[in-house]
Amino acid sequence: MGAGAVVAASLVASVASASPEDIFGYGPRSVAMAGTGTASSDDYEAAYTNPALISRLRARTLVIGYQEASFNLSASGTGLPGPVGYDPATGILIGVGLPIPFGGRLKDRVGVAIDFYTPTSLLVRGNIPYPETPQFVVLPDRAQSLTIRAGLGLDLGYGIRVGGGFGALAELDGSVVVATNSTGSVGSTVQDQLVAVYAPTVGATFDLPFGAGRPFRLGVAYRGQLEARFSVDIDATKLSSLNIPVLNISGIAQFDPEEVAFEAAYDTKAFTVALGATYKKWSAYPGPLEATTTCPAAMPMCGAVQPPTLAFHDTVVPRIGVERTLALPRRTKLHLRAGYAFEPTPSPSETSASQAVDPKSLMLVNVPTRYFDASRSIIAFGSGIEIPPLTIDTYGQVHVLVPRTITLDAASPASQSGAPPPPPGPTTVAHVTGTVLTFGMSLGVKF
Amino acid sequence: MRPLGALALVAFVAIASEARANPVDAFGLGSRGTAMGGAQAADVSDFSANYYNPAGLARAPKLELSLGYMGADQSLYVNGVNSGIDPVKGLVGGVVAPGRVFGIPFAFGLAIFLPDDFLSRVNALPQDQPRWELYANRNQRLYIAANVAISPLPWLQVGGGIAFMAATSGTLGITGSLPVLQAANAELRHEVDADLTAIRYPQVGARVELSRNVALAFVYRGQFSEKLDLHAILSGGITLTPTTPLLTTAYYNLETISVSAFLPQQAVLGASWQITPNLRTNLDLTYVNWSAYVSPVASINVKLNIPPPSFGWPPGIAPPTTPAPTTILPLNMNDTLVPHLGIEWRALERPKWEGFVRGGYEYDKSPIPAQTGSTNYIDRDRHAFSFGLGLRLMQVLRELPGDIRLDGHVQLSALFDGTTVKSSPADYVGDYVAGGHIWNVGGNVTVGF
Repeated sequence: MGAGAVVAASLVASVASASPEDIFGYGPRSVAMAGTGTASSDDYEAAYTNPALISRLRARTLVIGYQEASFNLSASGTGLPGPVGYDPATGILIGVGLPIPFGGRLKDRVGVAIDFYTPTSLLVRGNIPYPETPQFVVLPDRAQSLTIRAGLGLDLGYGIRVGGGFGALAELDGSVVVATNSTGSVGSTVQDQLVAVYAPTVGATFDLPFGAGRPFRLGVAYRGQLEARFSVDIDATKLSSLNIPVLNISGIAQFDPEEVAFEAAYDTKAFTVALGATYKKWSAYPGPLEATTTCPAAMPMCGAVQPPTLAFHDTVVPRIGVERTLALPRRTKLHLRAGYAFEPTPSPSETSASQAVDPKSLMLVNVPTRYFDASRSIIAFGSGIEIPPLTIDTYGQVHVLVPRTITLDAASPASQSGAPPPPPGPTTVAHVTGTVLTFGMSLGVKF
Repeated sequence: MRPLGALALVAFVAIASEARANPVDAFGLGSRGTAMGGAQAADVSDFSANYYNPAGLARAPKLELSLGYMGADQSLYVNGVNSGIDPVKGLVGGVVAPGRVFGIPFAFGLAIFLPDDFLSRVNALPQDQPRWELYANRNQRLYIAANVAISPLPWLQVGGGIAFMAATSGTLGITGSLPVLQAANAELRHEVDADLTAIRYPQVGARVELSRNVALAFVYRGQFSEKLDLHAILSGGITLTPTTPLLTTAYYNLETISVSAFLPQQAVLGASWQITPNLRTNLDLTYVNWSAYVSPVASINVKLNIPPPSFGWPPGIAPPTTPAPTTILPLNMNDTLVPHLGIEWRALERPKWEGFVRGGYEYDKSPIPAQTGSTNYIDRDRHAFSFGLGLRLMQVLRELPGDIRLDGHVQLSALFDGTTVKSSPADYVGDYVAGGHIWNVGGNVTVGF
């Protein structure tokens, strides 16, 4: 059983995900404008913000950038540590924008963009502790994963643009069979497959009043739910005469909710202001863990420990971003950017207790579910300078967690193992505060 | 030049290229390259340059988008029984985007092989179990490569990128209680703390035009080894049923370190000779450092503590024993020199279209030594014969001022039967005859703008 479990650990880690962009946005301009861009992007960033706007590309672009985010998060109260330590999330972004040089009626109407974000020290963080371990479930580890997006945009004329693309994750499906081999020692056979999962991104924009090149633009973009699940069955039933159940090491390593973004923008060569909102369907989030053992069909009320449940709710994120462009001598341009967004927390203000087995008494107990999060005020800023053919951009965001009190069902006395779970114990409260700082810079070339 | 160099350097360090190699090493990338036996280092400028020679990207005359499909059916046999090696099949595609920066030709390229069914697959087996080591799982992988290239002089192109693979390290904990007579009532739960970390390795290439008709090339592809470094702790109690007293406690601490994938470093010397305006021949010699290959078998360190109950184990219950330590037998692969030969004939030339006929040959001597002992890493020398056709259509539409290229290939790899003779007559696998063949068929469309 142990050998199989170990191999399962490796498989769990082999899961890619796509969440940094959901927390910070993607690309120097969009991040500096608080994640706006559904109606205002004009380069490779549009593969995430709104693929329809990829059609605005006019030059081949290759951008390399660096981004770092640090997390200063705290949960205080009875049994809580105060500061909850997380490693900074550092990563490299790569953006590619390619206007497709069709002729005739398609001239200057089609573009393709590809976006990468890869953490510098790892590709995926797969950290899913027991529910009683204090943890911020939405922020730090979601920021450490590989991101790949690609899209195509088409300018239909009359000020109408449409586009589509996808985001990609990988999820794992595998099995481990542990058994005594021909020599009498324990051996294992491992099979696992890393399978790609995709979510569509589609969008449209409308220049107003209708007609190409008008300064007012409306944009709408839909991004499908991206869910990176891992599922590994560990079968050690032939290991010995011990009756060991098949272990289900499964859960959700990364989750991006289904989103719909609306935005209105006033967009000229000298000034851009974008105002929008993003609806996020967090209510579909199933929680990070599944049960380690499942009840057989013939015994639906078995004693399997149930995973913690999370009743997330949908959110709406309002955003505003501005950009001022100053023309300097020798075709040089300076861009000054800023923005603000408010990201409501999807997590509930009360968490129910989770089941565990007391290691000493082997009794079933309730433990508090210490899953924390809080709404964030996001202040964004940045600048960019164009010295043809080069572009240099810098950007930053300050996320201030709105102080929040979360009520936790506390630990309860043990009950006999196999008996119904004990009732929840008295509640405790957790006070959640913190900040998240992110900054980045990029160097691009148009060729 | 300096800013360009800096950007290129950053690109080299940063550009992601995951799981480069194995399916592409075995079957090539793109129909033109496969049809010409993989002899492309000095004669490539399309998306496949991301594999064959990144420097070739700088020769691309225009923006190109490519998309295609390939499938390789692997019919490999042991003692006349098909080993059931899954086919390798998936989408092939890429982009080449040339331009100029500070007046210097510059290009960015991206290529992908996306398997139909999964991005990668691991099938870890005991070292004595027979397996086709170089064909079974190593080819079941996603391939992504991205590179940049420049042409600082009209006769010189250089390019490269950094590819990366993933290594895993982590800890898994399982705790709870296990009633051995009522497994359905097991009260177990798990937690995971695991990282997929990046392993970076370089790929660089250069191409020199000696004359209008002759070019030489050099390509280096770095080595990577994909490690699996894991630590698992299982602790809990063992009972007969959920309501009976504790029998004993179990503690299992296991560390395992293994190399689940390994790609040897490679160096390629290539030459291309335009014999006549319509006939070209290429030769590549690829040195593969197989001797650095690391056995895929895991090194395991186990601590197991399941003390027997004070009254002894109940009848019929036998706990697992501490696994015997795995003695990893070295694989001792040999370095190889792989010749690739290709020829391309422009058989038809019309104002609006051209037709090409291609052929190629590749010989892969098996790097795996005779498996006379207890290990059974099966391999045979591979002779790959390939054939392909190409059609180039020019100025098809007003909207498409460039060209459209349609390329297809068929490749037959023959692994001639050979007998593995065991040194011990008591070997439980025994002697066996192994061999087979692989059909590789595919095609791709390239649109140039």
